[in-house]
Amino acid sequence: MGRLRQKGKAGAAKAYVTRSMAIKKLQCSLADFRRLCILKGIFPREPRSKKRANKGSSAPTSFYYTKDIAYLAHEPVLKKLREHKAFAKRLARALGRGEWSSAKSLEDSKPVYRLDHIIKERYPTFIDAVRDIDDALCMIFLFASLPSNSRVSPSLTENCARLAAEWQLYVMHTRALRKVFLSIKGVYYQAEVMDQQVTWLIPYQFTQNIPSDVDVRVMLTFLELYQTLLGFVFFKLYTDASLVYPPPLDTKKEEAAAGVGAFSLQENNRKAGTAVSKKSTVEVDGKKVTGKDVRQTIKSLTAAAPQSENADDEMPVDDSTEQDVEEEFVPQPSTASHPDATPLPTLHSLSTLPQSQASKLFTPYTFWLSRETSRPMFEFIVRAFGGRIGWPASSGSGSPFDEDDDSITHVIIDRPLVERANASDEERERRRRRKYIQPQWVVDSINAGRILLEEPYTQGKTLPPHLSPFGDRQGAYDPLAGAGEEGAVEAASDESEAEEDEEVLGEENETEQVALKVAAAAASEDPAALRAAELEAEAAGVDYGTFEKEVTKSQQKAKKTKAPDAINPEEDMNKMMMSNKQRKLYEKMKYSQRKRGEETTKLEERKKALQKAKKRQEKAR
Amino acid sequence: MARGTGEKKRKQPVVEDSDHSDVEALPEGGMDMPSEEEGEDGVPGSDDDDDEVDEFPEIDARSDSDDVDTDEEEVEEDEDEDEDEDGSEEDDAESGTEDEEHHIFPQAKTVISKITGQPKKVYPEIEPDYDSDSSTEDAPNRVGNVPMHWYDDLPHVGYSIDGKKVLKPARGDELDKFLQTVDDPSAWTSAFDKNTQMDKPLTAEELDIIRRLQAHENPDASYDPYEPTIEWFTGKGKEEVMPLSAAPEPKRRWVPSKWEKQKVMKIVRAIRQGRILPAKPKTASSQQRFYAIWNEEPSSHAPPLPAPKPRLPTHNESYNPPEEYLPTEEERKEWEATDKEDRERDYLPQKYPSLRLVPAYDQFIQERFSRQLDLYLAPRIQRAKLNIDPNSLIPKLPSPSSLRPYPNYRSLNFRHTKGRVRCLSISPDGGWVVSADEEGIVSLWEVMVGREVKRWNMKEKVGGVEWCPRTDVSFFVVGTDEKLHFLVPPNLPSMVLAATQLLLAPPTLPPAPATPSPVKWSNPPSATTSDNKPILAIDLPQSSGIPKHITWHRKGDYFATVCEFHLTDSIPVSASGEGQGGVWIHQLSRRHSQAPFRKVKGSVQLVLFHPTKPQFFVATQRYVRVYNLAEQKLLKTLIPGIRWISSMDVHPSGDHLIVGGYDRKLCWFDLELSEKPYKIMRYYHSRAIRSLHFHPTYPLFASSSDDGSIQVFHARIYNDLMTDPLIVPLKILRGHEVKEGLGVLQVKWVPKQPWLVSAGADSSVAVWCN
Repeated sequence: MGRLRQKGKAGAAKAYVTRSMAIKKLQCSLADFRRLCILKGIFPREPRSKKRANKGSSAPTSFYYTKDIAYLAHEPVLKKLREHKAFAKRLARALGRGEWSSAKSLEDSKPVYRLDHIIKERYPTFIDAVRDIDDALCMIFLFASLPSNSRVSPSLTENCARLAAEWQLYVMHTRALRKVFLSIKGVYYQAEVMDQQVTWLIPYQFTQNIPSDVDVRVMLTFLELYQTLLGFVFFKLYTDASLVYPPPLDTKKEEAAAGVGAFSLQENNRKAGTAVSKKSTVEVDGKKVTGKDVRQTIKSLTAAAPQSENADDEMPVDDSTEQDVEEEFVPQPSTASHPDATPLPTLHSLSTLPQSQASKLFTPYTFWLSRETSRPMFEFIVRAFGGRIGWPASSGSGSPFDEDDDSITHVIIDRPLVERANASDEERERRRRRKYIQPQWVVDSINAGRILLEEPYTQGKTLPPHLSPFGDRQGAYDPLAGAGEEGAVEAASDESEAEEDEEVLGEENETEQVALKVAAAAASEDPAALRAAELEAEAAGVDYGTFEKEVTKSQQKAKKTKAPDAINPEEDMNKMMMSNKQRKLYEKMKYSQRKRGEETTKLEERKKALQKAKKRQEKAR
Repeated sequence: MARGTGEKKRKQPVVEDSDHSDVEALPEGGMDMPSEEEGEDGVPGSDDDDDEVDEFPEIDARSDSDDVDTDEEEVEEDEDEDEDEDGSEEDDAESGTEDEEHHIFPQAKTVISKITGQPKKVYPEIEPDYDSDSSTEDAPNRVGNVPMHWYDDLPHVGYSIDGKKVLKPARGDELDKFLQTVDDPSAWTSAFDKNTQMDKPLTAEELDIIRRLQAHENPDASYDPYEPTIEWFTGKGKEEVMPLSAAPEPKRRWVPSKWEKQKVMKIVRAIRQGRILPAKPKTASSQQRFYAIWNEEPSSHAPPLPAPKPRLPTHNESYNPPEEYLPTEEERKEWEATDKEDRERDYLPQKYPSLRLVPAYDQFIQERFSRQLDLYLAPRIQRAKLNIDPNSLIPKLPSPSSLRPYPNYRSLNFRHTKGRVRCLSISPDGGWVVSADEEGIVSLWEVMVGREVKRWNMKEKVGGVEWCPRTDVSFFVVGTDEKLHFLVPPNLPSMVLAATQLLLAPPTLPPAPATPSPVKWSNPPSATTSDNKPILAIDLPQSSGIPKHITWHRKGDYFATVCEFHLTDSIPVSASGEGQGGVWIHQLSRRHSQAPFRKVKGSVQLVLFHPTKPQFFVATQRYVRVYNLAEQKLLKTLIPGIRWISSMDVHPSGDHLIVGGYDRKLCWFDLELSEKPYKIMRYYHSRAIRSLHFHPTYPLFASSSDDGSIQVFHARIYNDLMTDPLIVPLKILRGHEVKEGLGVLQVKWVPKQPWLVSAGADSSVAVWCN
């Protein structure tokens, strides 16, 4: 006989603790516990059996791993929080007694906790950190735009704005931006940093107010962590790009609302030779960059260039400026050809290939922002893709050129077109030379990876729909997919409509039609019947073309009606041999499939209806 | 001193009673005036004032009780008015003397005589008018400083200097007192004097004392709290020149402290060694410093799992989505009507003609916040995403076409006139079917062609029909209410008929058993000649109900019946056979019936004989019990997990059992394996399962249900113990109608053929052929 096992001494009862137990163990307040959990990234767990984890009670509680809590118990931040509690008491006492000087000295020695070690613990490698900065960036950008009040201090807002500007500077400098999406919630950006897709959302430039049902303390705790995280990440990113961190801020420009332009990126010359370069080769690329590599990359670049140009049939990118920029990468005839080097283009080099092309999308162009467009947004986007951009003084200072500049090729304008009679010759001339496009053109071009035709986006035009560059889940409804197929369907529907018209017109045709239809319906099944039907149709005097059309139509119909219940009846019967678990899973999957299918068909049908309505309108005109 | 006792306003009317006293009282205030004048005169530190402070009239605590006393006195006073008047006069005189006691005769001024040059005392002149001097008047009451309550019960308050009684002054009633307070403006500054038993107005000094006490000041008006200090030893010319002691001055007065130095040095050393940090500049510490935190090697700890990223936006979130994404009016309303938590999407797709018109998203902060709540409050579970085709979950079974033969169409339909066909049985040779309906019609017909050969009318509901499995004899048993009838089919070969008759109606009856059974076996006298009448009948005990289930042992000597109870009967339990579960085992050869169980737990639904072993299956409502008949003990209890067992059948091999229930479940038991089912098939019938039957030779079994369908399964059992039985659903046979919620009530296989015969509630019996 084995040892007797006591209840609650092993297993789930030991592995999990409830929140109240955890608080008791840590001897801190709930608020402190919450703060610790946020900072350390500890979250509740779902035990497999709640009853077993909670001493036989199945009351709704949140459980934590006992080990997580034990790990929290050694946390230096917890110690600091306790110290802070004592400090708060002391300060309150000093203030109550009116001992101002001691209160001041207490205030000076206020315990402050650092989160460096937590950053290192939560993100042991730099890649881990970069992978997880999405939420941090969203929060930083949100708080950068918040008005400061009693809960959100101005210094916090300022720091967030600084971090946001630093991130944008880095993305612009490294040309890391990949995708932009204008949504109803804000603007989604996606950048590729260290081969990680970083997506962040910036709200449109309106004053946001913190609603009352939001707990600001929680947000501020997260923000505390995010500020530290981003500080370290940016430090690493900047130093890897051999830039000085933090970038020096020009306060005069800042005051004149220069935005990102108030910061100046400085090359870090002093250390470039030693530590930084070593790091960059090891950690950034994950391999040593050799001369051979470089040459190979160049070769593949040149090989790819003509292809891409061919692909860009609409707007070939002017290559001359590109060449100027990348002078060090001018292909030179290599002295020795390496036959063994052909498989060398690594995944990395290949993946970077189209990006480098796309990230110089706007290099040949100079943009001018109309005053109703958002400057920070377009300044960031255009500069991240190598373009030059200027703006009127009403959007802030620091525009590199003014409106009269001859180099301006595009004007981003978001106003309806107004014909002005009193326009001067110069203005008219300018209008002729420049392209006046709506903001969506910029974003759509970026997402398409090439310069789109300006025509559908010119000022005052109804814009084509703006689609998400992130796509939808697999198998979802694709608004673009219909383009080819649609034509056929449309044609078919048109025909049917036409037929209807015919029917209305020629009554004598009717009998023939009926016969035809019956025949076709019968014919769709097997070839023998088809043949018989064909003969019949011929006898009725229907020409072969219409007959064939009819047949294909009925076949399509038959397919459609069959499709939903195409499940083999045998399989249907075999379902009863499934175990309960499998059956439930099967039913769940089937349910979700059906639901998705329904959604897709709904969208498709709606599109069809819309197109039909449009066509009718056009006809009516 | 005596004047001090008194009460304020309340006793005022006492004075008012007589005109005299009123008149007399007024000058008294005037008499006090001189003392104030003296103060004004500037006589410093008059001791008299001090005296007066001491004499402040104490307010009698017993004033309330005095009230009653005074009222009594009033009555007395009214009786002798004369005396009262006298008393009042004397009172006046007394008050004069009293004043004299306290206000000493106007003090003399010390003046330097112009003549002699010596100081001399000059007294103020006395004007001899009416109220100039009180010294001439005596206080009438000479009682002295005694407690005045001694006189409470007496008409007088003391004695005058002449030894005459000083009578208490007359006192008015409450109304008088009140009027007095209204009339007399000084009423509120007067107090009751016990000595004279009347109200006396307070003097100005006394009022001043009251004011001072109320203001928390020193009651002594002459006390000056801000007296100038008088320098005695300090100041110019008053320094002490001579030392007070001759002790030499100690060293510590001029040598710096050693201990102080040590303490300071301790701090200095701590600062030098860096143990104490002097206050740093604040800006340096508050600013977060960033450094290359990822430069050193990462720890070997696996990084915590990153939080899942939020879903990327899809087309419908665009500010300018394709038009088909825009919600219709109904969708919009539905979205607005649903709760925030129940919404599939937290936004409605919207279309704006240009970017400039896109407003702020009002839920932005809420969404960020809810994301953060998710990050730190939501339990995270790692789930492997199943990216499989759901159809792959359906088990791959051999195709039914490869498992032929099995019945797949209805070959013929035999109709009863009316009434549900409850039961049917097929002869062991497989040629004949006997079916019985609820009207009591028992029909015998051929399987192949459906021709009815004979019909019996039992005139009451038939619960069960079963052929004897023996081939040398041919008969079947029909169970009606409390009776079992043995019927012999017509047109039997003579040999079989003779054997049957010999078996059922033997010329010599076997000896009766030792214990008499309540079940009676009887042969109707004419039975031997007629086919229409049962050849043998068994009378079950009174009110035992219809034998709803009859089952034969494979050898055909024994058969068992299960009776349905009439629960409404008031017959005692023992008589109805409820205790033994209504189960009877009948033995043909001995013409004897016995109840195998004395008492059964639960209501017995079905019983079955094991095909090879001496075992007996008893299905109660929830469990199936297996008994060994030879040893007469319980072997095992099977737990199918069915709420109410409706049907059961044992595989011809005897190792497997299927149990069906009214809750649409079918359980397959491997009897050698476990008490739990090997396989449970749920809900493949949409209604209750009614009947189950294994084919005696083919690997087939069928189940019928109230949904009007019959499900045919292939059930192959392998001799190899390691291989699980193979169960393949083959065919769903539909064709019976559902009537009043009842579908197919019984199915039976035709022996030696893969054919199925089913009896339905629509009063038809169908034969299904392959």
